[in-house]
Amino acid sequence: MDMGLDSGAASNSTDACHDGAAAPRILLVIPCFNEEASIGNLLGEIAATGRRYHTLVVDDGSSDATSAVAACRSPVARLAHNLGIGGAVQTGIKYAARQDFDFCIQIDGDGQHDPRAIETLLNAYRKDPANITIGSRFIDNAGFCSTRMRRAGIKLIVLALNSLFSGGRITDPTSGMRLLDRSAIAFFAKAYPADFPEPISLAWAMRAGLTVNEVPVEMRARETGVSSIDGLKSASYMIRVLGYILLARLVRSP
Amino acid sequence: MTNVLPSTETVIVISVFALIYMLMLLKKTLRGRLDLYDFLMLSMVAIIPAAFALFPSIAYLVSHLTGVVFPFVVMFGALFLVVFAFMHNMTARLHRLERQNCALIQEQSLLALELQAKKSGRSDG
Repeated sequence: MDMGLDSGAASNSTDACHDGAAAPRILLVIPCFNEEASIGNLLGEIAATGRRYHTLVVDDGSSDATSAVAACRSPVARLAHNLGIGGAVQTGIKYAARQDFDFCIQIDGDGQHDPRAIETLLNAYRKDPANITIGSRFIDNAGFCSTRMRRAGIKLIVLALNSLFSGGRITDPTSGMRLLDRSAIAFFAKAYPADFPEPISLAWAMRAGLTVNEVPVEMRARETGVSSIDGLKSASYMIRVLGYILLARLVRSP
Repeated sequence: MTNVLPSTETVIVISVFALIYMLMLLKKTLRGRLDLYDFLMLSMVAIIPAAFALFPSIAYLVSHLTGVVFPFVVMFGALFLVVFAFMHNMTARLHRLERQNCALIQEQSLLALELQAKKSGRSDG
């Protein structure tokens, strides 16, 4: 839905290259939940890259000062109630669709993703365009690669996705660092999974015929907070994700 | 197969309960607090026992057809099916409401953002 704005809150630059050709408009979607301690640093790092990225922090019903900290450097979409990572990311994707961005890049607000890796994703897209380009921890296995138990669970999810769907070979289905092109933005603006969004969104996308590519990136251990998926929840998460992937294979694309 | 008929007191008590309960449901439906589907499904809690009490010959026929000795077992089975169907429908409605709620919250945040952008656009001249 076009809200009729010529320049949204995020459009502060002209997006023009030196040679006059229009550079692609890139939106960084940063979903956050109680990340007041890390979001300021992250936005500072993004600004330090010197690139003309537009940013949108999606505050997923935080009870701390995430919005206030982020608002100093970025537009903030504040959700009245916590919707979870899926709802928060889709908010950003809808914004990208309405503001006519060429690319939407999701990065986590907890400091795990190095903003310098954004250029890696873009270069990978230029070299080999795909609708979704994932920053994978498991191609080079550099940097923080999660716990052993989680890696085992991820391997099962990888096996399920690669055997049930075509359109790309995946090594890191739970990576929260991904680049979406216009087709993927339009697709996910209509429907995005609320539960286990990272792997399930890939299943939906590949089911609908979108292509997926991966590029190695290094990730850092989260600066603050704890993962919501830990301990016994990891096993429950894996079983439920596999169930959803199977369901995505059996039904028509949303 | 037993052919014991319910006593008059039992029939009266069940019928009065069914009547009062259905009147309450009808009142709520007319006030818009329940829709027609809710009214029909919730009424089954009264209609099925009343039907079994008022028409015992049919109750015995149904229990005979299903191979169950006691008609009240068939009655509870029927009530379970009704409750299950109702729960199935409620689950679907709940999921739909969740999706709508999520969409509304997203829209509200995006509209607030765009309103803020327009205001700052106006204040910048």
